[in-house]
Amino acid sequence: MRKLYTNLLGCILVFFFILGNAFAQGSITVKGKVTDAINGEALIGVSIKLKGSTQGTSTDVSGAFTINMPSNGILIFTYIGFVSTEIPINNQTTLNVKLKTSSAALDEVIVVGYGTQRKSDITGSVARIKGADIASQPVLAATQAIQGKIAGVQIISSGDPNSLPTVRIRGTGTMKAGANPLYVVDGILTEDIRNINNADIVSMDILKDASATAIYGMRAANGVLLITTKKGKTGKMVIAYDGQAGIKEAAHLVNMAGPSQYAGYLNEASIYYGTGDELITAAQLQSGANTDWYDAILKKGIQQNHNISLSGGTDDVTYFISAGYLSDKGIIETNDFNRFTLRSNNEYNAAKWLKLSSLISFSRLNNRTVDLNAFNIAYRAAPYIASKIGEKYGNTSLSNNVGNPLLNLEKADNSVLGNRLQGSFAADVKPVSWLTLRSSFGVDLDFLKSTNYGYQFNNVGANSIFLTEGGNQLRDKSDLTVSQNNATKWVWDNTATFAKVLDKHSFNILAGITSEQYKFNGLTGKRVNVPENKDQWYLGIGSTKGATNDNTGDKWTRNSYISRLNYAYDNKYLLTATFRADGTSRFPTQNRWGYFPSVGLGWNIAEEDFMKGQKTFTTLKIRGSWGRVGNDQIATNVYFPIAAINIPYFYNNVEYSGIAFNQLPDKNVKWETTEEYDLGLDFGFFNNRLNGELDYYSKTTRDALIDIRIPAILGDIDGLYTTNASNFTNKGAEFALNWTDKVNDDWSYNIGGNVAYNKNAVTRLNGGQALVDGNTGGNQGNVTKSDNGQPIGSFFIYEADGIFQNVDEIAASAQKDALPGDLRYKDLSGPDGTPDGIINESDRTFMGSYQPKYTFGINGNVTFKEFDLGISTYGTTGGKIYNGKKASRNDQRDNLETDVVNNRWTPDRPSKSEPRATLSQLPASSYFLEKGDFFRINNLTLGFTIPKATLSKFSIERLRIYVAAQNLATITGYSGFTPEITSDRATTAGIESSIYPTTRTFTFGVNIGL
Amino acid sequence: MKTNKYIITCITAGLIVLSGCSKDFLEVSPQGQLTEDQVLKDPNAANQLVGGVYSTLYFGGFDNTTVGFLFECLNDMASDDTDKGSSPSDFSAGGEIDNFTVTANNFVLNNIWQGHYSAINRANKAIDVLTQSTFDEGVKNTLIGEVRFLRGIYYFNMVRCFGGVPKVIRTPDPSEGNSDEFQTRSTKEEIYQVILDDLQFAADNLPEKGSTEVGRATKGAAQSYLAKVYMYQKNWAKVLENTTAVINSGRYNLVNDYSLIFRENAVGNDGGNNNVESIFEVQTGINLGENAVSLLYSNGQGPRSKGGWNDLGFGINTPSSDLANAYEANDKRRAASIIFINPTVIHKDGGNPLNVGTVLWDGFRIPTQDSVENERYNYKAFHSSLKESPQVSNNKDSKPKNIRLMRYADVLLMYAEAQANLGNSGEAEAKLKLVRNRAGLVTVAGTVANIWNERRVELAMEQDRFFDLVRQGRAGTVLRAKGKAFVDGKNELFPIPQAQRDLSAGRLTQNPGY
Repeated sequence: MRKLYTNLLGCILVFFFILGNAFAQGSITVKGKVTDAINGEALIGVSIKLKGSTQGTSTDVSGAFTINMPSNGILIFTYIGFVSTEIPINNQTTLNVKLKTSSAALDEVIVVGYGTQRKSDITGSVARIKGADIASQPVLAATQAIQGKIAGVQIISSGDPNSLPTVRIRGTGTMKAGANPLYVVDGILTEDIRNINNADIVSMDILKDASATAIYGMRAANGVLLITTKKGKTGKMVIAYDGQAGIKEAAHLVNMAGPSQYAGYLNEASIYYGTGDELITAAQLQSGANTDWYDAILKKGIQQNHNISLSGGTDDVTYFISAGYLSDKGIIETNDFNRFTLRSNNEYNAAKWLKLSSLISFSRLNNRTVDLNAFNIAYRAAPYIASKIGEKYGNTSLSNNVGNPLLNLEKADNSVLGNRLQGSFAADVKPVSWLTLRSSFGVDLDFLKSTNYGYQFNNVGANSIFLTEGGNQLRDKSDLTVSQNNATKWVWDNTATFAKVLDKHSFNILAGITSEQYKFNGLTGKRVNVPENKDQWYLGIGSTKGATNDNTGDKWTRNSYISRLNYAYDNKYLLTATFRADGTSRFPTQNRWGYFPSVGLGWNIAEEDFMKGQKTFTTLKIRGSWGRVGNDQIATNVYFPIAAINIPYFYNNVEYSGIAFNQLPDKNVKWETTEEYDLGLDFGFFNNRLNGELDYYSKTTRDALIDIRIPAILGDIDGLYTTNASNFTNKGAEFALNWTDKVNDDWSYNIGGNVAYNKNAVTRLNGGQALVDGNTGGNQGNVTKSDNGQPIGSFFIYEADGIFQNVDEIAASAQKDALPGDLRYKDLSGPDGTPDGIINESDRTFMGSYQPKYTFGINGNVTFKEFDLGISTYGTTGGKIYNGKKASRNDQRDNLETDVVNNRWTPDRPSKSEPRATLSQLPASSYFLEKGDFFRINNLTLGFTIPKATLSKFSIERLRIYVAAQNLATITGYSGFTPEITSDRATTAGIESSIYPTTRTFTFGVNIGL
Repeated sequence: MKTNKYIITCITAGLIVLSGCSKDFLEVSPQGQLTEDQVLKDPNAANQLVGGVYSTLYFGGFDNTTVGFLFECLNDMASDDTDKGSSPSDFSAGGEIDNFTVTANNFVLNNIWQGHYSAINRANKAIDVLTQSTFDEGVKNTLIGEVRFLRGIYYFNMVRCFGGVPKVIRTPDPSEGNSDEFQTRSTKEEIYQVILDDLQFAADNLPEKGSTEVGRATKGAAQSYLAKVYMYQKNWAKVLENTTAVINSGRYNLVNDYSLIFRENAVGNDGGNNNVESIFEVQTGINLGENAVSLLYSNGQGPRSKGGWNDLGFGINTPSSDLANAYEANDKRRAASIIFINPTVIHKDGGNPLNVGTVLWDGFRIPTQDSVENERYNYKAFHSSLKESPQVSNNKDSKPKNIRLMRYADVLLMYAEAQANLGNSGEAEAKLKLVRNRAGLVTVAGTVANIWNERRVELAMEQDRFFDLVRQGRAGTVLRAKGKAFVDGKNELFPIPQAQRDLSAGRLTQNPGY
């Protein structure tokens, strides 16, 4: 390992500093400028290639370029959205080129995995987001910035500073194997992209259907997101700085009852419906405080993001070097996150037939995390208890058996320090014009150290930290837990690509082998009685009595064979066929290999002769595809019978270490496979000013791994058995439409909208055994049930049917013991399937699920002279949320929401929706279920670009300032923190409990180009 | 340059072919974990598996349970010994047991079911491995005897809780989980036969107390449990035979001071863990993982604060006033079994409460009633954090309290009951006298009624009373007289957990009345 590091470091140094190489050739220097043929504006970043070679350059910010080349060579100018143009040089040394807008604006180049393809040639469902659209938003993870922009890609974001948004592409198709998509960063497969600086991203390509994803076979079932980072372009050095700073706050909070409302409710409940005692006395209120616990634990956070990059290159070498710093203090006390990133992407044209590249990124993060349970206990804590006065805290555990959330935050210091090095080194060899051999070696080293310190504090005696002594919140010994988690991964791709055009037949054939290895090593130690001084938070300090040390590991390997054929006849008829064979150590020998084929067909109708005369359609393409993909994201050891060791017992008062087999493994665990059909239509009208896509898909996941409950007689300690025992289906349609127009030289705008519909269902569950989950505590039981025909994680609860207004209603109901003001539940069934006059478990019914039926977004940009205005929005409808905070009333003296208190049923003010005051936890019913529909203005940005004339005096190429608002406004009926609930567990995803509120951020930013 | 081109092209092409890895590349063993194959290669594995079976005695907390906190709650609360305790809203599942409103969905029952079958399967696995092992026959049979002893106790618990249950005496393959063999209930009699076979094998093969490590099952323990099982079957001759064997073994005697039976440390050679009266007890201890304990056994039952002091527990399973009143005057066992919380008395002039609390044997002072949730707590479950071994961390839930499962006093009372039933009331009275004298009471006649009363106060809150009442055939009469909603023909047994019935596709039949 040590040797690997040494080598790695060596390589990095070499690539950083040894720039330039001597492959000088006899040639002329051509200089020139590339402009838009229509408006004469300089085109930045136009790719210029010397025909028949790999040599090339691109235009700088003023559209200028310089290239050394043979005097009789031909230059090819390509630029997205413009017609590719070839110009023979014939000894000219200055060349001004005007490019015409392409009739096929759709013809961008898409990264498709182990290669690229023109969008017009693609038979699958793919989408692309430009890096600029990602970097313009003040967010950590790139995926958060694409929310609402691509039909069928659901992004669930969180306000937590270091969070990775939950991404669901075309629904949730798995339960146990991980429903997150695959991320591929410059060829490296990963599950986490929080190390990537958004300013370094050129593009994100999203592969949605099996024809597109099948090249990633075993990891493709949830869709694939490919991130490509920036490279340098031939030409003079370009320096860019982008900075933004802003302030963030919770976008929406819940109003909790104040002291008198709280006391009024509890006393009413206790005096009229309980023991008759006054629970909260007037004296307690009088001497008490008036605490809004959310005010107490929340703050306004500062967020900053600074990026600087240098890029440029010669014909032989291009470089892109960047540094980024992002800091986000979150919105909850003590929370503090920052990330520093470095990137060096270099390419070396060592010879006409040999290109070497090194893409390396380093990221370092520092995060003081918070226990999200603080949001939950702030919900519960009694409002008449002070949060903190001077150095002493209010003693909430005396009032209602809940810790003081502010104390919890301030007396714990949990920090994470992460270092991640991700990079790839590749050689492209082109021995002949139709063949490229590529070998790419990627590494991903992720080192995470966490230090969790709990301060000692007393609750009684002279040193009591509380205003009032007693209760059960204390830590009589300080404790320190330090862990070091090191994950190392390498992936080695070796591919051969044959590309040949024979008359009207165009072939592109890819074949290759990849292998991958992942290793994890985690060390954890715990000590008690460690001094408060931060400098002493090491395992070497502290009491050895009670010290614990632990060391765990993980390892898996993959080996895959990949192949792809792209064939096009006359640009009209397209065929894509892929086949991938994957072997992974995660499955037992007999089920180790999975085979993943796909076929896609396309017909570019607009290219047909009979369409030549018409002016309406610029683009018209029909696509159809079928494919089968897999999912291997299961725990490494799932099929091994593992011994539980060091099971203690005492003989002769001496500890003896026994062993036991507590968990029954399925020794025959096999791949989940997802089969998908997609039918799509791409169209563009009026010179593609109006263009769009329409897709229908049907996905079926077979042999999905689920935890099934097994009879206790089998002896499995948790009664759960992981096996392939379910199918899931996702069926839906997607529609996207964009309108781009340039009114005149001053005015241009575009507006786009997309909408997706998805229907998720569980089918063919193991013998019909439904999966229940989501226990919200107390007598609520499990609130979700995933059963055949229902979406995953469907709520299965009582149906609340209003409030009993009088005794007559009660007498006529199935709840004879109820009192006026109680919730009435529908008596839907009984042991024999008919209503039985009793409300019990058999009356629970399906009430919807968290999964939205529709997701949609509308995005637009307007440019007027130097001003630009952008807006992006996102919304979902059809999903439900279970308000878990409200439902889990742990203690009868827990606080309540203002609305619950103020609107409660009383004989004088009979409510039709809020029940009477009660000290008990209510059963799980639709009373706690709310619509999760929302529509949000995700981002609104107003920018101003300083005119070039002004800037030229300061030798600045570009200067833009802007103000932006992230999450400006959300329209939702949901009463909790946020309708967006991030959860990795599909069966509990719709329950809001301890969740970081969505944040709203206002920022000011500047973009400078030198 | 040309040469380079060919060389590099060939190398790259070679890499593409070579990077198809060897088969071994995909064979990855679990890291830092032992697989079954690796474990069973170790000749010591059988012994370690037996250790794993003993460890099932720790199953407790609010989780899967064998003889721990929840099982204690079930047995004590259902009887007239204890109330649910704690605050009114806490632990409603316990309240259902206390009031006989228990349903098949009560989590306590499911956790007891799961805990026992989990333990039984560990036992079965150990027996499978032991049977195939190459140990010396004597050693092998001793180890098998220990495991079968534990399995016998577990089935005895199950049959008393639920009646006939599925008979699992070998390790089933997961594919067999749904077979009728394992998904239908055996009869009560079949289960009793399993228990008797197991315990008899243990009695025949285990060494006497003192001839083996402290904590392991012994011949005496097996015989005592045999006696108890036979007592439930009213086979008085067998009760007599087995209790006589225990008594005559000379290995056991009564602790002089009743209050010292439940202490960790002996006082003047009297009492403490594994005392002379102990026949079988759960061996807890202090270890780094703090997992050599029956979780919450002590803390779950410890005195609960209403505020103002660092309390000793959750206050669940509190001695009932009926139990407190069941002791005769001067019975030393009353104060040794129950922690009484003193009332809060206000000064006559309306000033501060009198500073009178309850001082426990270790000197800890519990405040008066206004700061304490309940009026009485179980002294037998108390573990002193001042005078007894503390856990290394602050975790009060894992206090190392040995649970006394079988005491010599129980054997004496079983002997007495057998003799009384066989018409030898003199013999019965002699043994009854030993138990009563120790409690500071004079002797009474050796009648069955007197013995039953004695069992209650002697073995209060020791997981005996409810099943004892059912065995005596008077559970309904006794409990209804105390205001409990016991229904004859129903509440003698608890309902089969609904979760398990659902998993059996309805083949596990429900007990009558549920």
